[in-house]
Amino acid sequence: MDTPDQTPDPGSARGSRWDAVQPWLTLACRLGLAAVLFYAAVSKFPPALSVQAVEAYDLFPVEVARLIGYTLPLFEIALAVLLLVGLATRYAGAVSALLMVVFIAGVVSAMARGLNIDCGCFGGGGQVEPGETKYGLSIARDIAFAALGGFIALWPRSPFAIDRALGLFR
Amino acid sequence: MGSEARRRSRERIREQREKEKRAAKRNRTLLVVGAAAVVVLLIVGVGYLVLNADRRSSGFEGALPPRTLQEDGSVVMAQEGAEAPVVEVYADYQCPACRQFELLNGDVLKENAAEGQAIVHYRPVSIFAQRPQPISSNSLRAGAAARAAADHDRFVQYNDALFENQPTEGEEGFTVDQLKDWFADTGPTEQQQEQFDQRVEEEAAVVSRFTGEFLPALTQDAQEQIGQETLGTMVLSDLLAWGDGHGHDSSFLDGTYTGQIIEATGNAYTRYNGDNAFRATPSVYVNGELLDNNTAMTARGLDEAIDSAGPGEVDTQPMGDGGGAE
Repeated sequence: MDTPDQTPDPGSARGSRWDAVQPWLTLACRLGLAAVLFYAAVSKFPPALSVQAVEAYDLFPVEVARLIGYTLPLFEIALAVLLLVGLATRYAGAVSALLMVVFIAGVVSAMARGLNIDCGCFGGGGQVEPGETKYGLSIARDIAFAALGGFIALWPRSPFAIDRALGLFR
Repeated sequence: MGSEARRRSRERIREQREKEKRAAKRNRTLLVVGAAAVVVLLIVGVGYLVLNADRRSSGFEGALPPRTLQEDGSVVMAQEGAEAPVVEVYADYQCPACRQFELLNGDVLKENAAEGQAIVHYRPVSIFAQRPQPISSNSLRAGAAARAAADHDRFVQYNDALFENQPTEGEEGFTVDQLKDWFADTGPTEQQQEQFDQRVEEEAAVVSRFTGEFLPALTQDAQEQIGQETLGTMVLSDLLAWGDGHGHDSSFLDGTYTGQIIEATGNAYTRYNGDNAFRATPSVYVNGELLDNNTAMTARGLDEAIDSAGPGEVDTQPMGDGGGAE
């Protein structure tokens, strides 16, 4: 919980350089991931189409798919806001990374069942022509986003964060 | 002894301070995580309420305005002599986004038509006719069945039933038995049911021949003779015309509802130009202007688009025999 945000070895030059660079790297991850999540949420509008993208995975009953279609973009916006303002940075990063893992699982399951769908990650979604699926790209993208979230969760200390004002991850 | 006691006491105080520090840190973390949770709940909760406010609280339960079957197999629903914008709805019964449109805005259309605020023109198409089975066969069978239901003035109810029961894409669905059952649910006379059943069986045979044998053979020949690139730019009705001249006689489609919906689909592709061009389903036009997704796929958007448009003209002619009511 509090290991990495304390300086382990202030004497070593390597350690101090990392200490100087890491907060800015975390800030970059925060802003990048927030932008991705925000764009993903907005492109899923209107919710009727988002519901359709969820239904295409054929994993949930109609009502559950509907609920996910409506609330997932909102949840993405909420995470984006937390990352942007730097509130509960570590946990927002971890949850974002976890969300990406869930997305990857969904895409892998669609792939394994031989569905021909668009992941609906950034709007769109639903059936595509066989051979026009982009599962590999979607998974690679999600891995990269998960890595951003993981970095934030491991090294939450960053400038311009509400956490700092509240005395966390200084 | 004295110094030992002092040392111990210092130790205790230091431990106490450490403990307090840890507790303070834990509290700060809890506070921050709690604040974050509140932010998440607020955004998701309020957002959900706002998005849901777009949906009609109650479905349309009034009487449907009169429906008129058109020569091309489409159906116009409007109050007698209504002077209102024409809302054309192009949908494929196997298309999931069309199902979402219907679930969200089906009642908005009925309500507007019932109030004389809109002339609703249902134009079923089969954009999936060239997909692999069962997507193609599901789409065509449902389209033909909806047309058969229109013969008995039950198109709108049947249209709803088809979208409600849409099979997952890629799975066999809209079976002949299901299609008959859903028609029975609309309360037809015995004679109507018989005629419908017979028609649906005939159409199912045509669909199965078309998607199972005829089209694959035609497509293969066309690929070899005119190339995949040109083929990709041809609508199905053009391909059929090409086939007629190259040993693939499509006359078994003549007079069938399956053939009719294929033709209607081909015509949709050439009916509009530029930004209004028909590309996908669902496509919703108000007085010939294509609505974007944010307008067509939200109840408020569609309502406003209808409200702000002037009266329009339906571009098809009613069926000669007075709407096919038998």
